[in-house]
Amino acid sequence: MKKRTASLLKPYILILPALALAVVFAYRPFLLTLLNSLHTVSLQGQRLSFVGFENYQRLFVSQSFQASLSNTLRFTLYFVPTNLIICLGAALLSNRKGKLATLNQIFFFLPMAVGLSSAMMILKMMFNPSIGIINQLFGSDIQWFNDKHAAMALLVIAGVYLDIGLNFLLLHAALRNVPPELHEVAKIEGANSLQVFRYLQAPLIAPTFVFVLMTNIKDAMLISSPVLILTEGGPFRSTQTLVYQMYLEGFKSGNYAMGSAIAAVVFLLTLSALLLLLHLERRRVYYQ
Amino acid sequence: MKRLFIYALLVLLATQSLSALGQEENQTDAVTTITWWHPNSGLADKAAEALVEEFNSTVGKEKHIQVQAVYQGKANDVLTKAKAILQSSITNDLPDLVQLDGAAVLDIRDNANLIAMEDLAKADNYDLAQIMEAARLSITYKEKMIAMPFNSSTILLYYNKTAFDEAGIAKAPRTLDELALVASKLKKTDDKGKVIRYGFANVPTTYELMVWLGQQNGLSYLTDYENGHTGNPTKVLFHENGTMVNFLTKWRALYATGSLENLTSDLNGAFASGRVAMIVASTSNLTTIQSMVGDRFEFAVAPFPMVDEKATGGVNVGGGAIYALNNGSGNEGAAWEFVKFATSAKQQLVWHIATGYFPVNRDTYTLPEFEAHLQANPHYGVAIKQLLDSNPKLQGMWVPSAYQIYYALQSGILKMLTENLSPEQTSKALETEINSYFTEFLRMQK
Amino acid sequence: MKKLTALIATLCSLVIVFPIFYSISASFFSYADFTSIPARLLPSVPTLENYARAFKESNLERFLANSLLTASLGTALRMAISIISAYTFSFFTFKGRDVLFVLIVATMLLPSDALLLANYTTIRALRLTDSYLGIISTLLLAPTHIFMLRQYFKTVSSEYREAAVLEGCGDIRFLTTLLIPISKAVVITLAIHSFSTIFNDYLWPLLVTNKESMRTVQVGLTMLGFSENLDYGPQFAAITLLITPILIAFVAMHKPIQTSVSTRFAGR
Repeated sequence: MKKRTASLLKPYILILPALALAVVFAYRPFLLTLLNSLHTVSLQGQRLSFVGFENYQRLFVSQSFQASLSNTLRFTLYFVPTNLIICLGAALLSNRKGKLATLNQIFFFLPMAVGLSSAMMILKMMFNPSIGIINQLFGSDIQWFNDKHAAMALLVIAGVYLDIGLNFLLLHAALRNVPPELHEVAKIEGANSLQVFRYLQAPLIAPTFVFVLMTNIKDAMLISSPVLILTEGGPFRSTQTLVYQMYLEGFKSGNYAMGSAIAAVVFLLTLSALLLLLHLERRRVYYQ
Repeated sequence: MKRLFIYALLVLLATQSLSALGQEENQTDAVTTITWWHPNSGLADKAAEALVEEFNSTVGKEKHIQVQAVYQGKANDVLTKAKAILQSSITNDLPDLVQLDGAAVLDIRDNANLIAMEDLAKADNYDLAQIMEAARLSITYKEKMIAMPFNSSTILLYYNKTAFDEAGIAKAPRTLDELALVASKLKKTDDKGKVIRYGFANVPTTYELMVWLGQQNGLSYLTDYENGHTGNPTKVLFHENGTMVNFLTKWRALYATGSLENLTSDLNGAFASGRVAMIVASTSNLTTIQSMVGDRFEFAVAPFPMVDEKATGGVNVGGGAIYALNNGSGNEGAAWEFVKFATSAKQQLVWHIATGYFPVNRDTYTLPEFEAHLQANPHYGVAIKQLLDSNPKLQGMWVPSAYQIYYALQSGILKMLTENLSPEQTSKALETEINSYFTEFLRMQK
Repeated sequence: MKKLTALIATLCSLVIVFPIFYSISASFFSYADFTSIPARLLPSVPTLENYARAFKESNLERFLANSLLTASLGTALRMAISIISAYTFSFFTFKGRDVLFVLIVATMLLPSDALLLANYTTIRALRLTDSYLGIISTLLLAPTHIFMLRQYFKTVSSEYREAAVLEGCGDIRFLTTLLIPISKAVVITLAIHSFSTIFNDYLWPLLVTNKESMRTVQVGLTMLGFSENLDYGPQFAAITLLITPILIAFVAMHKPIQTSVSTRFAGR
């Protein structure tokens, strides 16, 4: 009898750690965040009084939030295609045989070895307008931290640098998995590179591509650490993103209610974007 | 099943040891250890360590007190950490002393765990008049000095003397009108009409506006409750009392000369590379600017420009202060010993020479070594004279949502300049936005 | 055409690698080199002073140890939880299995960055600040990993397991001698990804650690605090020290890394 109960309970016990973590670090905090966003909250984190959607109303009217929303959406719009093109391009370009190709490949995923803050600090120094090497090399005097557009561009560059290692690895592997026999057949039938890509490689790497796309969108909507280290939201709030504002309101100003409201908005946006994508994937992607 | 048990046990053990690994053991011995969190980096960090060393080997040794200085990042980071602990109910992780800047005051001043420095001083019969009045007032809340001013600085005009000489300008500008004139003389363009040197570069920060608005008419407040020193501000006054409009008018005129560049960061670099001929910056930037400029050109400092002839308030004392916190250890007396030592006349002289921060102890200023030091470093003389000539009641502003207000001010002013709005419009818009932050903050009060 | 591709590829890869090269060069700059205008690419006179300062003026070894420890332990725990959970969902049938699976995997849509404030309160309440467990706590659950592993395990015929059970093989033995070796490729990839995620975590360790002795290297690097006077030397020295062993490891192991990220995983 004991053995039977034991074996009945076993699967539940095995998944208990995962479930416990999910509740403690995902569901519970999520519900608490939503709850906080519907109340006013004191500096000590205690809920004071229920105010319904008032926090959200104040949030949407505030210039600061509007800036964050616009910046985050714009960043996502600039970053995702740029990153995908660069990573896919890198994967395609180095999809060759030979030692030089191997060297290319190593270089492309080397950024993965550089941690986040290291990369940010290197970029911060390199892009310094007066004493940084970038302006020197290109003979330009772009005010990377003082000009809105330059700062956003810098953020995109930073984002690409952070993601290229892993993304390249995945896409490169996906490309290599395209059976060489099919390549041969295509060549025999006289297809050029573009056709090979469009009809052969693209459909076969689609699952990986979609995975990369989804994580990129999620990362873009949530971007915060590069903002913290590189631009601190400047110049003139032009690089203030949603999660960064959440950090400012929640941790710096102690405004938990506002911070929670922003968190809820971030969820909603990210969730919508990902669900939309999943829906599109289901319809158009080919699985082996 | 047995295997499962073992597996579960292993996981439990692993997690136990993981959390144990992280906690440090508390040593109990006869020596009282004081932890001091600070944001001093580079030169200031070295000076802080030296100060602690000196204390530990003299007064500390006598009284069995050892101070441990812990660098916790930039001033913002130190505050974030302290706040995180202060806001919870578990406060024995608090340091005994924490050095914070003006942005921290709002979060800490009403906290139950703050021990007002004035109380500690009184318990030791320490005469607070030893502390420079402006410095002391800068950290006074509801008539009580809540912390000890420590790394004090003020603001100066840095200018490229070589460029001045070339352009035939004899004196540094005193007012914003003069600044506009001088800046347009210093502007240089290449043959394609592109500006290669700006006369002046700045987008006013909260701190600078604090001075530019506060100094008008001898003394002017930006918010009610005396800039937050007697209670939580509920609204701004700078629109009603016309100081913002006055300032913005002058600023717009400056921009109209085409010699103002709207830079918000890397001002030191722009100045040192010769791209900009004048900037305003803190006295604590002096050594950095000195080493960046090198021997590229000769630079000098002058008092912070006045908004107009009636703006006689001078400048205020900025920088940070050391706060004492109650972490249940009963070490306040020992903590005070260190603070007393650190702000003594001699130590403040050492601190000043090493870091460039102002001595907060009045007696330092009459020490012969100090006079000698000033002779050798006339730049500091300018800064000190400016401070001593100022109205000590000119205080910093203690407001919530400091970051947001900073951005509001900067964006608002930029908008006025680039979209050619009127000073009245801009001032009103700023009033509305900043008042909303105050309202937010008041909603969070119990 | 092939040559053109090779050329472009090489140029692009050099661009990508440039910041790494620059940081190594800059670690030998003197202070004057940093603030010199025009900016320098190579040091005028290489100096080792930055390295000396990086060690002397900070607790670099401790930061690094903390990062390596948390990343290793975190990866081990994370993989263990993911593998065991995926295994349970693939090979067992029990009531509510599918619902529970969706519940766990759906947390993928609740990114921990957005839950920062609430999670911080939880960690404080659990008294886990300034502890290794606190640092890795939010990353222990990897819904994407569990999802991918289950996808993969399902392609392994259930006959294997039935045979194993018949022979009296316990779960752990089944996992270690059969399942994991078969899934080596996926497991290694996910482990690398986990390690890199935990190692690179910045915002969460920043908030959760107060004691300097508990800092991870990502947080510690930004706090080397020299950049305010443009005194970047020690930071670059620290960065170079940090990435050099990893760089060497990557270059040496590039073949296994590449082949592991292949076939089943990429095909999802």
